[in-house]
This record gives sequence, structure tokens and C-alpha cells, in this order.
Amino acid sequence: MDRNSTGLVFVLPALIVLAMLIAYPVAYTGLLSVTDRQGEFVGLANFRAVLSARATPQAFWNTIWFVGGSIVFQVILGTATAILLNQSFFGRGIVRSITLIPWVVPGIVAATTWAWMFHTEFGIINYMMTGTGMIPEPIGWLTNGNTVMPVLIAINVWKLFPFVAIMVLAGLQSIPKDLYEAARVDGANFWQEVRFIMIPQVRSVIVAVTLLLVIWGLNSITIIYAITRGGPANRTLITPIQIFRLAFESTQFNQAAALSVIFFAVALVIVIIYIRALASTPGEAK
Amino acid sequence: MKFSKLAVMATAMTMLASGVALAGEVVWWTPNFNEARARELVTKFEQANQGIKVKLEITTTDGLPQRVLTALQSGAAPDIIDVQHAWVNGYAQNGLVVAVDDVLKDREDYIPASLDYGTWNSKLWAIPYRIETHAVIYNKGAFRDAGLDPAKPPQTWDELVAAAKTLSKGKVSGFAITGGGEVGNTIFRSLPFIWMNGGDIISADGKKAVVNQPAAVAAVKFYTDFFKNKQSPASTLENDGTANRRLFIAETVAAYQSGQFDVASIRKENPKIDIGVMPIPHPAGKPTAALLGGWSFVIPSSAKNPAEAKKLVAFLAEAPNQGALTDTFPARKSAMSLPRFSDPILTVFKEMLPYGRAVPNNKNWVQITQAYFDGIQRILLGDEDVQKAMDGAAKDIQALLDQK
Repeated sequence: MDRNSTGLVFVLPALIVLAMLIAYPVAYTGLLSVTDRQGEFVGLANFRAVLSARATPQAFWNTIWFVGGSIVFQVILGTATAILLNQSFFGRGIVRSITLIPWVVPGIVAATTWAWMFHTEFGIINYMMTGTGMIPEPIGWLTNGNTVMPVLIAINVWKLFPFVAIMVLAGLQSIPKDLYEAARVDGANFWQEVRFIMIPQVRSVIVAVTLLLVIWGLNSITIIYAITRGGPANRTLITPIQIFRLAFESTQFNQAAALSVIFFAVALVIVIIYIRALASTPGEAK
Repeated sequence: MKFSKLAVMATAMTMLASGVALAGEVVWWTPNFNEARARELVTKFEQANQGIKVKLEITTTDGLPQRVLTALQSGAAPDIIDVQHAWVNGYAQNGLVVAVDDVLKDREDYIPASLDYGTWNSKLWAIPYRIETHAVIYNKGAFRDAGLDPAKPPQTWDELVAAAKTLSKGKVSGFAITGGGEVGNTIFRSLPFIWMNGGDIISADGKKAVVNQPAAVAAVKFYTDFFKNKQSPASTLENDGTANRRLFIAETVAAYQSGQFDVASIRKENPKIDIGVMPIPHPAGKPTAALLGGWSFVIPSSAKNPAEAKKLVAFLAEAPNQGALTDTFPARKSAMSLPRFSDPILTVFKEMLPYGRAVPNNKNWVQITQAYFDGIQRILLGDEDVQKAMDGAAKDIQALLDQK
């Protein structure tokens, strides 16, 4: 045995465990997607059934909206917060800790609390807004087709921007001081420092965090399911919730598996395009 | 030597970890509202059956269908589970529970609709022990304030619409419907109106979607108009049965459909309310209808002690024990004469029972109701009119019925 294959023997146990934990569920989902309840092969019937459902395209567009809308604001707000928290000011430690709270609160707790705050009759948001005369009568935040998705995106942004902030802050702190000093000697102001030093230096962090946010966004169920269950009339139904509903509410495990396979393929394409686009960008900080 | 010691230890550990349920110990999952009464019955059962131990595990109704399904699918299920009638058929058709024809005694003593739920392939897959239907709970004080006679509640649809209109004043909504929460809330409340008008969601043979036929469309219009005409609260689209009860307790809702289980919490949280109960109003000249709900026992296919489980289920199915365990009414007529069911506030709920119907046994029923519910929400959102929304729902439902 040469060195290489000896190494392979050593990693074999870990590989077997990984295969059982990752490959088995993936393969089993694939198998479920082409069989019926009795385990008989049915070809693409499950795929046809889920693709012909009216909810499927709607859920797909909702997913794009929800994930895209969330990520844009999470990254912008997170990066801005990181730059702010990187400055030295009185009470910075406390502000840094407070910023983390949304991320630390369990998703289901946050979702339930927000659902109550946005409730038409009992919610504190309508109470305060009607009390101060900002709006004449209560708004159905979660029942109006035009407001429900933006509200859910806002809650999701609130939940995850601290994560972006902390990651970017860590990146900012690894920037050598001499870069700033050199810039100041050249007469750069604060905005120029942000634009030409901070952002380029933490670009790789933002890229990695965004990829994580995409993956999490495509898998997120908790917030929407706990608040609207995908309603009203599927306005906030995203594909992961549709899969969950098919499997655990309708006991259509085979159709759920078929939808998962489709979703997996789409997600894979998105991630590959994203990584390709990055790999081809020149001048990335390594 | 060392290796064999390790093996013995490992085996012992595994047995410890998995051996929570010992041989002869029957594990019974029951919801939290049954806990106290279930414990009494278990003690009785254990005294009569020396050698069988029963382990109670308490569940909560929120998320219970998912939890039960996961347990059944994974093969790590308890020996007996309390489930709602409507879930049983899905389990039976997926081979997740065992037939219990040999456990059922005195078939003619059961309310027939309760057995309809558990029947599939001409076998019985669950023993019902608790049944209930809705009626309309109303605030007698609000009736008096609006100049209506609380002793003469509305009986027909037209009378209900007129009363709701009179009752809706200022902050008070006359008749609250549901349009949010879990799908079942709105099925329970709107499907009876379709039935009493002679319609249905799917045809009796399960081959055709009929929810866009005139009888069903008129009933859906009747139901959703309470919101359109502002007689149901502005928050209707996010309200389930619990939210309506809360609004009733806060005296911003004057009447709503619910079961007798709401009465106790209304009395406790707002004793000032003078509670009235009326049968669900019906179209003039047609009988009323209600959806029969409740709970059954199932024995999972993967139960470790099916023989002992059947013994316990047979014991719990005896009339006095059903009468003791149920939170509402027992599924057996002979148990109905027990003194606890003679409270006058229950009279109307009891009168509604014979009008109770089972939902169809269709393997795609949950998705069918979801398609119908989406249609209701589209009407409430103002996206589509009733006919168009029900046409869309019928198309979705037909696709589900055509699936093999």
C-alpha cells in the first residue's frame, strides 16, 4: 500500500458514516419520487402531478421573492451595521451584544411573537399606529395580499441581519491598520475608506455569507409556517413549505419527494451559477 | 476478552436505550386534555388485568398530526394513539395501523357516522370514543342590546343574516366566520352550510368535483358574505376557532360556530356573558347539518404489544369508560345517559349530533380541502368572486380525484 491508499483506509470509517447520513436520504428521496405508496415504479407520474398543481409555480415565484428580497436587505443592513460597530464609540460592547439578540432568539419564538404583534385586532403595531393617528383604522398586515410578503421579508431580515453583521465585523477587524493610515496620508475621507478599503477587503466574507443566506433562505420554513402557514390563498407559500405540506399534512410522500428533487436541481443550478460567477471575478482577496 | 466485555456492555447500553417500553407494557399516547381521566381509567384497567402495565404519554394537539405520522412512518410508534376521526383513513390506506374489527362490540350502539370515518376496504381501522358537532354560540346580552329576543334565535339563513346585520354595531361583529389558521377550522364551519343546501365538495362516488355547482356556490356565498358585509371581524382571514372564541370573550363578536368545549373557557374568562346556544341555521325548508368530529383509538402496525393494546382499547370502548374519558360526547348512544351529559347548556349540542356527517373517505382529502380553502381565501381577499374561486377550486380538486 502506498501512502495515499493507507490514508484512504483511515478516512474510510468517516466516509461510510457520511455516506449513510447524506447519500442515503438523498438516494431514498430519489427512489420515493418515482414510486407510489405501495413502492411500485410509476415513472414520472409524481412529477407530473406536482408540476400540474396550481400552487407549484406560485410557490416557486414566492420563494424567489422571499429569498431574494431577504438577502438584499440582510446584506446591506448587516454590512452597514458591521461598519458602524467597527467604529469606536461609548457603549460599543453593549450595542454589539444587543445587535445579536434577533439571531439568538429561537425562530419559532420570534415568529410567534411577531405574528401577535402584527395581528389585526390584538396586535401592538396596529394599536400604536391607530393610537397615534398614523393610520385611521387597523391594517390587516398578515391578511392583506399586498402587505403580507413584505412583512414576512422584514421579519426574516430582522432575524438574520445580525449574523451578517458579526461575520462582516470579524472581517473588518482583520484589515491591517496601515491600509487606513496610508489612505489617510493620501487624504481619503470616511466614505472613501469604506468604498476602497473596507468593502474590497471583506468582499470574500460577504460572498461566503451570501451563499449561506441563499442556502438557508431556500430551506427556511419556520418563520412563514409559524405565522401564515403559506396563506392567505398561497400568497406566502414557498416551495419548502409546499413540500412539508405535501408530506406531513397530505401524506403524499412520493409527490413531496418529486418536488424535493425538482427543488434540489433548481437550487443546485443557482448555487453553481453563483460560485462560477465568483470564481471568474478577478482581484478577489484571498 | 476485552472485546467480549465491550460487546456485552454495548448490548446492555442498547437495551437500556431502546428498552424504555418493556415487554407487556402498553404505551398509550393521549392528548393533554384527557390526562386526568385517562390516568383513572388506566388504574382501573391495571387492577383488572394483572400483568399488563400501561404507560401514558401525553401529547398536545398542536402539530399532533405531523408527530403521529412521523411516529407511524418511522416504525417507532406506541401501542395505542388517540387521533381525530378524519386522520384514520390516511393511516389505513398507507398500512400504518391494524384493523380492529375484532375489538368492536355492540356495533349498533355507535353513532353510525363515527364508524364511517374509521372504515376502509370494508374493515374497521379505529374505535371511536368521542364525538361532537358544532352549534352556534351567541351572547344573549348582545341580542338584548340590539333589540333582538335572545329566547328566539334565528333558525333560517335569512334570519341569521338579518340578525347578524342588526347585531353588527360599532365594535361588535354580528356573526364571526373563520378564514385563517388550520384548514380544518374553515371546513368544519362552512361545509355544513354546503351540505344543508344539498351540495358537496366532491360527489358521493368520489369521482367528480361538485364544489362549483349552484348549491355549493350559494352556500359559500352565504358564508363569505358575512365578511364581505362586515358582519365578521376585519381579522377574519387570520382567525381560527380559538381566535373567534377570544373575540367572543372580549365581547366584540356576538355569535360564532363552535363546540361545547368553548363553553367552559368562556364562563371562566368572562362570567358576565349570558351564553346562548342555537342549532346551526339552515335554508328555509331544509334540515340543518353539521360535521361530526371527535377522537378515535388506533393501534399502529408497528406496535410492540398489539394483543395487550387491543385489550386496553376494548376496555376503553366500554360504554361507561367512553362516557368517562370523552371531553365532549361519547360515540356510544348508551353512554349518553350518564349524568355528566345532562347539563342544559349541552341540550342543543346533543340535538345537533344526529345531523352530524362524516367527511368523505378520500386519500387526497387533505389536499382537496386545501384547494377549497384557498378558494375561500381568494374570495375573502377580494381576488375572485365566488363562482370563479369555486371553479378554480373544482379544477384543482378534479385533478386530485383523477390521480390514481
